[in-house]
Amino acid sequence: MITRTDRAPLIPPSRWVGYLLAFALIVAAPLVLGTPYWRGILVVCAMNVLLALSLNLVLGYTGQLNLGQSAFFAIGAYVSVILVRSHGWNFWLAMVAASAAAGMAGLLLAAFAVRLRGHYLGIASLGFAVITYQVLVNWEGVTEGVRGIYGIMPPPPIKLPGLPEISFGNSLALFWLVGGIAFAVYWMLDNLVRSPVGETLRALREDEVSAASLGINAARWKAFAFGLASTIAGLAGCFYPGFVGTLVPDAFNIVESFTMLAMVIVGGMGSMIGPVIGAVVLTFLPELLRSAGELRLMIYGIALTLVVLFMPGGILQLVQIVRARLSRRAGAGASR
Amino acid sequence: MSVLLEAQGLHKRFGGVRAVQGISLQVEADSVFALIGPNGAGKSTMMNLLSGTYQPDAGELVFDGVSLAGLPAHRRARLGIARTFQKIRLFRQLSLLDNVLAGFHLHHKVPAWQYLLPAAAFWRDWHACREEAMALLDFVGLADRAHERAGALAYGQQRLLEIARALATRPRLFMLDEPAAGLNGGEVEFLLGRLREMRTRGITVVVVEHNMELVMNVADHVFVMDHGEYLFQGTPGEVQANPAVIAAYLGGEFA
Repeated sequence: MITRTDRAPLIPPSRWVGYLLAFALIVAAPLVLGTPYWRGILVVCAMNVLLALSLNLVLGYTGQLNLGQSAFFAIGAYVSVILVRSHGWNFWLAMVAASAAAGMAGLLLAAFAVRLRGHYLGIASLGFAVITYQVLVNWEGVTEGVRGIYGIMPPPPIKLPGLPEISFGNSLALFWLVGGIAFAVYWMLDNLVRSPVGETLRALREDEVSAASLGINAARWKAFAFGLASTIAGLAGCFYPGFVGTLVPDAFNIVESFTMLAMVIVGGMGSMIGPVIGAVVLTFLPELLRSAGELRLMIYGIALTLVVLFMPGGILQLVQIVRARLSRRAGAGASR
Repeated sequence: MSVLLEAQGLHKRFGGVRAVQGISLQVEADSVFALIGPNGAGKSTMMNLLSGTYQPDAGELVFDGVSLAGLPAHRRARLGIARTFQKIRLFRQLSLLDNVLAGFHLHHKVPAWQYLLPAAAFWRDWHACREEAMALLDFVGLADRAHERAGALAYGQQRLLEIARALATRPRLFMLDEPAAGLNGGEVEFLLGRLREMRTRGITVVVVEHNMELVMNVADHVFVMDHGEYLFQGTPGEVQANPAVIAAYLGGEFA
């Protein structure tokens, strides 16, 4: 019976089309938005996509309220910079170590998630982010505190045999790098949430007691989700300092955690593409509203509130509703 | 006949309430064991003690030669103990199919890396699980609704879906907590047939039940509790004829 694999295509063609479109978009976006300013926004956007994807794994798929995702972003940024500057590490090696460090911190938070539910976990994770921020401010011997670290270099150039050297000093190559990583992470997470692992995480989200009756070890799988998500957030953090050139604790204020939360919720949590849409919209919307001057934050805030009030499923829900209406109309037209 | 599950002197109290007091029982392999008693007899507490949702204050539990002392629910599932819940606990936002698929958690044989980059072993498992899940949905008569949301099912169907989900763990011991509660006559008949079928497939069934028709029709052995204590045990016929059981069920009136 296992040989009858012809009933369902292994990966539906629509997914391949989606991947191809996304790939083309990543390649084309910095060529269309040709100014250094917009290319910079694109780099930020790619980092935000990584952050939204990571938070969504914990919040949307595993159902654990996490208000401290900025802490892992911060750990990735600081650990990678400190390893390179103070310990002379190669950036790429430091990147792996810093992501792992963020992942370990995520396991620490997961230890709380095993005992705390819902709002209580939210408060604990918020506390975790506040503590991380305070450590960055006060541990001056290592982090330079509020003075910050300056003159941080972008990732070193890559030399591939037979190709010209790829330098990340310009935001074009840097965007392709971070965007490419975001693409790869999306691909793997997309596979993961469709696999039995995704089934397990969703079961935990829906009901822990019956998940346990099916043999699911809640502590282990929450640790998995937190560990993987914070590793990804840490990875995003590695690219931030080299892009901005400076590193100050204020970049990891807890408000950043709420921005990430907004991306996941506005886009549509619990789906893969939703948070990506949310990250793109919430990165570009403030920039597009710049011409509105003082009204900018107000419009931004009102738009956010409206989405949460009227579309709890986020922008993705709106897209699905519109698509359903259109196909119904098309169907009705065909029958006439 | 061999004993699959044995309890010795189980005690459980909640504050001042002695929910279970010194219960000992033996469940024989490949039988249907019914646990009955009036409201507040401690049946559901027993169920939670056996499945690992609660740990007993005192007493011993042995499943197929393995002590269950201190083992949490998820470890007992691994040993082959499955259960349903009196107050239905489905994954309501997920489809019927996804509910059952989650039940295969313990049985995937796929190298970990293939969860990120699916290859042959992943897809073999993927198809085998879907095939088996559909067979289980068919077993409880819900195959044609596989892609609907579990929360949208009628009450009786939700109970049946919970049974299919638990069976996905491929249990040796299957404990059902009031499976007939809220079912109509036809559904009870159907459930009876399914319980008999499970026994022929080598699954030992423990059923906590109020519905006497179901108990008397399907049980090999009936264990009666009252006020957390042992009252009587025997065949359905013996239990029905026992004055103490009748008194417990009908109150002092007819005693």
